Amino acid sequence: MRVSVLLFGPQATLAGARSVDVDVAAESPTANDILAALREASPALTGSLAMSRLAVNHEFAAPDRPIGPGDEVALIGMVSGG
Amino acid sequence: MTERVRSQLVEVHLVDGALAPKATPPPVGAGAWLVFEGIVRPSEEGRPLAALDYEAYEPMTSRELRRLAEATRVEHGLLSIVVEHSVGRVAAGEVSFRLAIGSKHRAEGIRAAETFIDRMKKTVPLWKTPVYQRENG
Repeated sequence: MRVSVLLFGPQATLAGARSVDVDVAAESPTANDILAALREASPALTGSLAMSRLAVNHEFAAPDRPIGPGDEVALIGMVSGG
Repeated sequence: MTERVRSQLVEVHLVDGALAPKATPPPVGAGAWLVFEGIVRPSEEGRPLAALDYEAYEPMTSRELRRLAEATRVEHGLLSIVVEHSVGRVAAGEVSFRLAIGSKHRAEGIRAAETFIDRMKKTVPLWKTPVYQRENG
């Protein structure tokens, strides 16, 4: 399954993009699977992922939260808060 | 004398650009009215700063700010809490954040302000990107 992950602020700058597409092998991937796939897809983000959480449909997601087709997935990095 | 009664205990506003000066009256019954304003510093990591670009992820940003404001209000027994935060570009020297807290006594208001700001930086999707002044003019 391919999932597009939205990026913001300094992480968008690090990745040089407003979103990153990741491919996950699992049929029913979880938020944790997406984070692991992000490390592979965008090494520039690796250093900041420890201070990041995923949001799914505008709500913070638990690590075991399943991700389905049509979900809006965003990387919420607390790397330079307001 | 007229007296304005706040209709809501919690208010959250995201504003395009710098926050304009504002004098909001305290809530009825307040013995303390704390207004904190965050200003864009003129330098960042030793480099002259022209501005900060603030980015939000709506509607999640407003929702998380409101949740945090409501939780802070209940935890500290506040009378009111009003949050304003800029999105977009704010020049150095301008106000990008304003937190106004009404409480019966000063102690809980001061504690609440610290708590709110610390948690906001850790849990609310708001990002800032520095815009540096040109090195040679």
